[in-house]
Amino acid sequence: MKRSLQYKLDKLCSGRIHREKHHGIIHLTGHCSEWQQAVEAGLLAAKKGSRTHVVNDIVPDSQVMEHPLGSLPDLRDNSLDGRHPDVLIIGGGVIGCAIARELTKSKLDILLIEKEYDVAVHASSRNDGVIHPGIDLLPGLLKKKYNNRGNPLYDQLARELDIPFERVGQHLVFQKRSMKLPAIASLLYFNLSVAGKVRFIEKNKLHRLEPGLSDRAAFALFFEGAGIICPFNLTIALAENAIQNGAEISLNTAALSMDLTRRGKKYITAVHTNRGTIYPRLVISAAGVFAEEIARMAGDRFFSIHPRKGSSVILDKKVKANIHSVYSFLQGWNANRHSKGGGIIPTIHGNVLVGPDAVEVREKEDFSTHRDNLQAVFEKQKNISNWLNPADTIAYFSGIRAATYEEDFILEKGRQTENILHAAGIQSPGLTAAPAIALKMEKMALTYLSRFGNVPSNPSFNPYRKAPPHLASLPEKERDRLIRQNPDYGQILCRCEEISKGEILDAMRRPLPCFTLDGIKRRVRPTSGRCQGGFCAPLILPLIAEEAKILPENVCKGVPGSRILFGEKGEGREEI
Amino acid sequence: MKKLTCIICPRGCRLEAQEIDGDILVKGHACPKGEAFAKSELTHPMRCLTTSVKTCFPELPWLPVRTGKDIAKEDIPRILREIRRYRLEKEVHCGDILIENVAGSGSPLIATLECCADSLARKE
Amino acid sequence: MKKYDVVIIGAGPAGLAAAVSAREEDASVLVIEREARPGGILKQCIHDGFGLIRYREKLSGCEYASREILKTRESGAEIQTLSFVSRITKLEKGFVLLLSSRHGMSNIFARSLILATGCRERTARQVAVHGTRPAGVLTAGTAQYYLNVLGQLPGKRCVILGSGDIGLIMARRLTLEGAEVLGVYEAKSEPGGLSRNLYQCLEDFDIPLHLSTTVLEVHGKERVQGVTLVKVDENLTPLPGTEEDLSCDALILSVGLIPENELAQNLGAVIDPVTKGPVADEDGMTSVPGLFSCGNAYHVSDLADYVSESGERAGRAAAVWTPGNIPSTLPVTAEKNLLYVVPQGIRRQPQEKIVFYFRCSRTLQGAILRVRLGENEILQKHYDILRPAEIEKVILNLSGKDLCSCERLTFSLEEL
Repeated sequence: MKRSLQYKLDKLCSGRIHREKHHGIIHLTGHCSEWQQAVEAGLLAAKKGSRTHVVNDIVPDSQVMEHPLGSLPDLRDNSLDGRHPDVLIIGGGVIGCAIARELTKSKLDILLIEKEYDVAVHASSRNDGVIHPGIDLLPGLLKKKYNNRGNPLYDQLARELDIPFERVGQHLVFQKRSMKLPAIASLLYFNLSVAGKVRFIEKNKLHRLEPGLSDRAAFALFFEGAGIICPFNLTIALAENAIQNGAEISLNTAALSMDLTRRGKKYITAVHTNRGTIYPRLVISAAGVFAEEIARMAGDRFFSIHPRKGSSVILDKKVKANIHSVYSFLQGWNANRHSKGGGIIPTIHGNVLVGPDAVEVREKEDFSTHRDNLQAVFEKQKNISNWLNPADTIAYFSGIRAATYEEDFILEKGRQTENILHAAGIQSPGLTAAPAIALKMEKMALTYLSRFGNVPSNPSFNPYRKAPPHLASLPEKERDRLIRQNPDYGQILCRCEEISKGEILDAMRRPLPCFTLDGIKRRVRPTSGRCQGGFCAPLILPLIAEEAKILPENVCKGVPGSRILFGEKGEGREEI
Repeated sequence: MKKLTCIICPRGCRLEAQEIDGDILVKGHACPKGEAFAKSELTHPMRCLTTSVKTCFPELPWLPVRTGKDIAKEDIPRILREIRRYRLEKEVHCGDILIENVAGSGSPLIATLECCADSLARKE
Repeated sequence: MKKYDVVIIGAGPAGLAAAVSAREEDASVLVIEREARPGGILKQCIHDGFGLIRYREKLSGCEYASREILKTRESGAEIQTLSFVSRITKLEKGFVLLLSSRHGMSNIFARSLILATGCRERTARQVAVHGTRPAGVLTAGTAQYYLNVLGQLPGKRCVILGSGDIGLIMARRLTLEGAEVLGVYEAKSEPGGLSRNLYQCLEDFDIPLHLSTTVLEVHGKERVQGVTLVKVDENLTPLPGTEEDLSCDALILSVGLIPENELAQNLGAVIDPVTKGPVADEDGMTSVPGLFSCGNAYHVSDLADYVSESGERAGRAAAVWTPGNIPSTLPVTAEKNLLYVVPQGIRRQPQEKIVFYFRCSRTLQGAILRVRLGENEILQKHYDILRPAEIEKVILNLSGKDLCSCERLTFSLEEL
């Protein structure tokens, strides 16, 4: 067995790869010509779901394009210097923000740092927003366990955070009638192993429920547990609630290095950031695609992350009437081991998503999209419905999954380092699992912190966060009442999504402030409609300038430096 | 022979103009204006210049303006430089003259939009 | 609830013209406008070339708008600005509109309703521009707002994709106001804008126009750093091996306009897949009785003058329309070499003057327009040149014609 693996590795990279097992990890070193081979070698050496992780140090001959920590903030100050938080959370994605919120139930000094200009900038805003029943997850995986625990928590979580969530269900659609018996037989397994009930849906009923499905749809299994949510609204709401309950979130703040001492195990004494040195009792890594780098800083690197890009298409709201649930064709019983092959997904905001695909990439922050990928995404789904039309595309995006070679979550305390907890390898169904992962991490954190004495609970903890009003979805009378209190709620600036000036101002006056077009878009949706900001962006820009007290030319689209304007018009050409 | 496109009207006639013995022969025009345009284009091309001037009104920070008459094409950069130095500090109506003879071009500079309390939609 | 004979959504040139003509028929008229000032997109069109047909004068877009606004105010039509139509309910005898304004929510009853909502620009994503999504990718109309209304430069080294009129106009504006326009790139093999704009906006400033070329990808993380250009074949498919990188800091798109018709669609109006506007008769009445469409919301024109004309017709018709009156229509079809002809149908009542607009599907050097009523040819018109970018207007006299026994009115173009 061992020999045949080495044989495969040798064949893959002409004998240039060395494999060594020590300290409970499989360490791959050596060289290969292309990044894809390094990933392939990692996948060959790893066992799915195993706690013995592959650490991949194979160096491709081609050049690395990106800094190992990705793009880092230019900001330099000492605003956090000398801070001694009980818990330092690294990463402001859905996992980090959910952990921060859970920890505020206890009386703790919690600091969350995020290197980007906002929370939910990477994978947490770049996914399809499906709360999965866990159809294709094998029992035994942490993914399965936390998916199934997280899924049922969403109804209450969405109520507490005042964000829309809908259990629309998911149709797993079969094309071959011959699959009917095996499908019915699988009901028992599914009903025992997924979140929510599963039902068999006959062809006639299926087409009545989903008239937009193509004739090829022979029957389906319906998973009641599937839901849809807005992943960035969720992350922002978690962050706001955490702040309300006493946590601090510091944006544009990157962990750059750590000081370690050794007292038996290693121990993190200090975390250096671009905004000063922090001395936390406990570090929780929720750093997504950078989790391996954080583990390395902490002297506790026992896994590797290989980024995997997925691209999706967003369709115009007018096609939403064609679809009521998430649906996808069954791609074969032993579906692709990395991804369920995408599907068609109604979004909570009333658009439709198509995709995503899955492509191994080397760069962790390259969110570009490419014509071929998106064409393939459509090609793959084109037979499932009778209405899908690329002409209804209003936008597309890509996200990068933080996959380990074992393709499972890592939720554990440091192996070599005492005061770090890792929430790593969080990819799909990471969003579904997030609330359950946060509970698990909270428990581990409290266990660790209890050695310093009793951790009292936070008496003023309030799980409820009030969302700013969304006028267009309110009943007429309520809407009228709010406008009379604040006339800005009556003035619509974004016509595609019917968003008022008041709502846009609200977005800039929340517990977690944001003064960028993309930040406002993630909070209240202007520029996300069919005009993609053509009409409203120039109206919002002066509002941001006024609110943030900056010049119009300093207003950014998103990341620092993404300035939209170059200042007042100037001297033109000398000759014509 | 020079190929031109008439810019007088949206029809955009394609013109051919040729100088023969000091006279300009024009082909392709659908009306006399096209012929005149081609002749002018070969000797002293003229354009209408449109731009905007800075105002002191936050509701309308820039007022659109144009030259009241066509001006020599080559003068455009010079006229623009003068217009850039101008700042509107009083209310004006569409059509009002802001500068009588802008940069000595022989043409006035006129406002092309209402800029008065009524049109600025001042909040009550 | 306030009641009006005619309610018009949109105070751009179409809506304002509709208001004036509806007032001429003595109807009570309300114009609803989302922005603070009427005028629509013309407010940012500071360039000249407007009004040659309507006013026999060369006006800037702003001046044209000012005149229309003045006429509307004088007509006695009400204009309600900073108001947005949130929902429309169709009743048997009219429409109820739910409005959001700074004063609160209100309901308005309209016996007939005119949609003069204009059009929106096709975006980068809709023409499959890929790559990263930095700041500096914007449509020409948005660039026009930044430059003309806010007085701010949206780019310093600009690439313009698409040769629509707004893109050409912006090439000139940007050049005059301190930016460099590196070139205009058009995926089709023919330019999209008016010939006079190619001449006075590009040639005047030596800005190159590259045909059969498009932008494949955008580069840059914060701000646009460059684009990858690619040659395309006649089906607009990129030709591998022709990619070329060009460094720039803005990508400005002028790749087409789409009528804004979500309100019409929600009311059940049949939409023409070619024009993307509602199917309508010569008065602009859609398939929903009492619901009219005009201007660029009906079909995209290249002249504001035509937009106003279409508004006038809709305004007059909406003012005299009475609920329950559903005229029988004669279908109008566009055949050979025609992209579309509007109106898509006409009432089966002989009239002296019916205005049609058409667009050809490709450039024709010499063509004959033939119009047939049933089997009989009723018009032949010769054109020296026809370009898909330029809309053509033709007026038919159908007085004395029998419109009841024939099946359709057919337009076709014969190439010479």
